[in-house]
Amino acid sequence: MNLNIRLPEKITTYAILTALSALLGAPLLYVFSIALASDESTYLAKFTLIPHEFHFENFIRIFQLDLNFSRFFLNSLTLVIFAMIGQIISSSMVAYGFARLRAPGKNFLFIVLLSTMMIPGEVTMIPSFILFRYLGWINTLLPLIVPNFFTNAFNVFLLRQFISRIPAELDEAAQIDGLGFFGIYSRIILPLIKPALIAIGIFTFTWNWGWFMGPLIYINDFNKAPLALGVQILSATSTSSQVPPWNMVMVGSMLLTLPMLLVYFFGQKYMDEFGVIGGSSAIK
Amino acid sequence: MKKREALWFYIMVSPWVIGFLVFTLGPMIYSLYLSLTNWDLFNPPKFIGIQNYINLLTKDHIFWKTVGNTFYYGFISMFLGMAASLGIAVLLNKPLKGMRTYRTLLYIPATVPVVASSLLFIRLLAPDAGLVNRFLALFGINGPPWLLSPVWVKPALILMSLWGVGGGVTLLLAGMKGIPNEFYEAAAIDGANSRQQFQYITLPMLSPVIFFNLVMGLIGSLQTFTEVYIVTGGGPNNASKMIVPYLFDNAFRWYKMGYASAIAWVLFLIALVFTALVFRSSNMWVYYESEVKKS
Repeated sequence: MNLNIRLPEKITTYAILTALSALLGAPLLYVFSIALASDESTYLAKFTLIPHEFHFENFIRIFQLDLNFSRFFLNSLTLVIFAMIGQIISSSMVAYGFARLRAPGKNFLFIVLLSTMMIPGEVTMIPSFILFRYLGWINTLLPLIVPNFFTNAFNVFLLRQFISRIPAELDEAAQIDGLGFFGIYSRIILPLIKPALIAIGIFTFTWNWGWFMGPLIYINDFNKAPLALGVQILSATSTSSQVPPWNMVMVGSMLLTLPMLLVYFFGQKYMDEFGVIGGSSAIK
Repeated sequence: MKKREALWFYIMVSPWVIGFLVFTLGPMIYSLYLSLTNWDLFNPPKFIGIQNYINLLTKDHIFWKTVGNTFYYGFISMFLGMAASLGIAVLLNKPLKGMRTYRTLLYIPATVPVVASSLLFIRLLAPDAGLVNRFLALFGINGPPWLLSPVWVKPALILMSLWGVGGGVTLLLAGMKGIPNEFYEAAAIDGANSRQQFQYITLPMLSPVIFFNLVMGLIGSLQTFTEVYIVTGGGPNNASKMIVPYLFDNAFRWYKMGYASAIAWVLFLIALVFTALVFRSSNMWVYYESEVKKS
């Protein structure tokens, strides 16, 4: 890159970026404005970009609706925490196996693993639904949680790359000291890949927190719904006026977005590291 | 020793192997069988051969419409998204103050879950009171009725996808940071201007990232569901109905499990063909550092 940037170029760069930020930021301000609107303004759909009403009590009212939003929130939290635990345990085990251990059939299995990345989840959707229905798991979080304990190809692939970069001499030294294969995995490898495991946790969080289709298929009982489904239910439950309660819907949307923002801000450094891996070197 | 190592390998990879058999291979075989039956979930499945596929491919106009809509939406949103994120990444990669702040600002919309952004865009795109049309009115433009119009409903969804453009920017920016500065310095000494530097250094060096985004974006856009389900419901007049929402309707609204399974398999084949095409073409335009270009 040219290190001496001339003044006109500087000004245009800042101008374009500021205009873009305003353009992409305006909808966020609009969410805030609608969330703070009174019920009357909502009924008349009179919303402004800059908030002109400040009904902060809406943020408390959301938890007092007929739809139990604290319950939705807890359901989402349960789903996401178990999904993260499942993915971290299972994908680190599988990745260690593929990165370090030798066995007949390993390469074949790895090719199968890679090819499953290309299969759209919709192909297995109907049989999975039938399986979980047969097990009596409809209206529970189990169909959404349990598959996470069996990894996914993407996480295995990323972690395997990460483990491969650890010098193999470490394993050999540990072996001479009498550590078995499981000991190497749990005492040598796991502590060394902690940043990668956190990144896997973050990915799993972001994939599951806002997930809509899975909950929509498996959960009909309003009390069992995760937040993403709960917010949609709120928007679809027409009030007596036949207008969605937009102010409450936007409060719910903010509630849904907030954890994603927090994870982004606190997890950014781990994601950056993986952005590079996931983006370029992973596919070499 | 060797035997024990092999044994531990199978133990360690067993979560994936079991998961693959129970949640992928088994369901795929069963789904292939179901696609050859007529089944309403309550009575026993009735074997009807390839009748579902014949109906789907030759008689079902709505299905072909959903395929067309999915391609329309997928290609345009992916192309525009890629172009926009490349442009933004180039700007953000300049050694200027405050770029981190801009990067964060532009990324925030990408963290908003699709359910939330879908609900938001219903409001944003409202014909009279919506923010988008009020913004256009500032320039004297009479905004279209967006979600109510069969012509404008797909551009509306594309507009919505562009709001999350910051997600792609992050990946490209990470790739750009990895390009050695010496390349640009050498080019500058040879008198290359910024446009030439972009064309002959940045773009080729980034091609693996672009390729990765392209493959993932392609498979992702084929699976578009939530936006359609919440924002448009597929309407008006199926103008925004896409493959997966149609599959969902067949399976979980009309309980046509066999027919829905056939749709799933056609979707799978489409995804395979596209991925294969992208991979085949990749030799022509993706440049890997380790390779020496034959001239």
